Amino acid sequence: MSLLDNDTRNQLTEMFESLQKSVKVVVFTQEFECQYCTETRQIAEELAALSDKISLEVYDFVADKALADQYGIDKIPATVIVEGGDEGKDFGIRYYGIPSGYEFSSLIQDVIMVSAGDPQLSEETKTWLAALETPVHLQVFVTPTCPYCPQAVLLAHRLAMASELVHADMVEATEFPHLSNKYQVMGVPRTVINENVFQEGAVPEPMMLEKLKEAVAVAA
Amino acid sequence: MTFQLNMDRFSLDDQANNYDVVIIGGGPAGTSAAIYTARSELRTLVIDKGLTAGALGVTSKISNYPGVPGPISGAKLVEIMREQAESFGAEFLTDKVVGIQFDGEQKEIIAGTGTFKAKVLILASGAMGRTSTVPGEEALLGRGVSYCATCDGAFFRDQDVAVVGNNDEALEEALFLTKYAQNIHLIVPTPELKAREALAHEAESHPKIKVRLGTRLKEITGNGKVNGIVVHPRKSPPESLPVSGAFVYLQGSQPITDYLMGQLDTTEEGCLLVDSEMQTSIPGVFAIGDLLCTHIKQAVVAASDGVIAAVAADKYVNGRKKAVVDWK
Repeated sequence: MSLLDNDTRNQLTEMFESLQKSVKVVVFTQEFECQYCTETRQIAEELAALSDKISLEVYDFVADKALADQYGIDKIPATVIVEGGDEGKDFGIRYYGIPSGYEFSSLIQDVIMVSAGDPQLSEETKTWLAALETPVHLQVFVTPTCPYCPQAVLLAHRLAMASELVHADMVEATEFPHLSNKYQVMGVPRTVINENVFQEGAVPEPMMLEKLKEAVAVAA
Repeated sequence: MTFQLNMDRFSLDDQANNYDVVIIGGGPAGTSAAIYTARSELRTLVIDKGLTAGALGVTSKISNYPGVPGPISGAKLVEIMREQAESFGAEFLTDKVVGIQFDGEQKEIIAGTGTFKAKVLILASGAMGRTSTVPGEEALLGRGVSYCATCDGAFFRDQDVAVVGNNDEALEEALFLTKYAQNIHLIVPTPELKAREALAHEAESHPKIKVRLGTRLKEITGNGKVNGIVVHPRKSPPESLPVSGAFVYLQGSQPITDYLMGQLDTTEEGCLLVDSEMQTSIPGVFAIGDLLCTHIKQAVVAASDGVIAAVAADKYVNGRKKAVVDWK
């Protein structure tokens, strides 16, 4: 059974006509597929079928361990959005857990952003990122029913796209309860920056920039 | 978790979600602005939380609105205004705005069901916001205190929670929580619910929802995370209720600007600052009605603000130097 209905497929096909650079979606699942692994793979398959500009690679988390390590994948289902082509660039954009509900829109917007090659950040943020010297890891905890969450996920992914030192994960909180416990997630979106700095809610770019500065100062 | 893909957020059809004017708030200010902008043939969308979400919508009797002798309920008066705006082509959407991007030529309005673009944005979200929080609330935000049950309900599976509020939103969120929580204490500060009748009935008759009328929230307690609330029932001493989540939907008389996230200039009291044409610190963004603190909080005054902003909006969109007012 198809997950995307006809209307959605038609609308996406039309929207993807304006894609520029090719985009590769990489999904990690495993032979005995985990909860929501099947659906995550299927979403990616159906999406890739809608445009010549979108390619798909599906790997087994266990059998393709070397590749999983290369992408830094430590849990599944995992979805990675990279630039297409042989030398396709990995910006550090990750989804852990199913990109469903409101997060399906994040996935689409990431495909469009990577294809356009522009994370659309302010000059101030770009300047700060250009001078960044230490790695920044953003983990944005979400639930699929949270209308505020895509704003937080997309901002994190835009930051990842703009800097090689920034990696940004969407983490679907209910699929990874041990992580929700570890980072005390009882409300979403909650962004964990480098393990020790937290941001509640979806905040505008200038506020997130201040948090990033704080996190980098803690690390220094 | 039910499995679904949400596509609503997209303006898939490039034109469909593009408006000349988006108005946030469908009370007398927003609706009056819509009547004028729609009549000036500006494509107009009004996003509103519901007929009874605002100050006029919850008023039971109005007898002093010029031209409408009444007595008439506020909700009915709002409905008449909306029908008038719709007759000129304005569209109304029941939704909640969660964020706005002001950079870029067009303003982007992010709501629960979609993202909309507008050349002109008119803010008319009123002043039903809370004036203060209770002890414990800010410290425990994200630690069991939440303002969004649809976002956070899943973290409270089989637990006891409290929902605090008396309006449609509070009841809808309480009903959503019945999917996850064990018991839901609905703490209602007023002697009765102020929500749609069908919704009130559904909440009151739900086996998981315990309604506590005339009971005020005094404090949210917890150490690192919420472990209870202190409530004060009318004519009884305060008491503690053990809960692990507190979902708060209280209202007050503060301008509602949370969705703006500090991106516009305000007074110390949180009122938006505008010029004589109701324009805020960002060109093409107007604010009207009870969001401003400069005037008397009356429906007719809010309506008048809406007209001033609408005329200025027309000027802004069409690049006119002078306002054109339709006398016909």
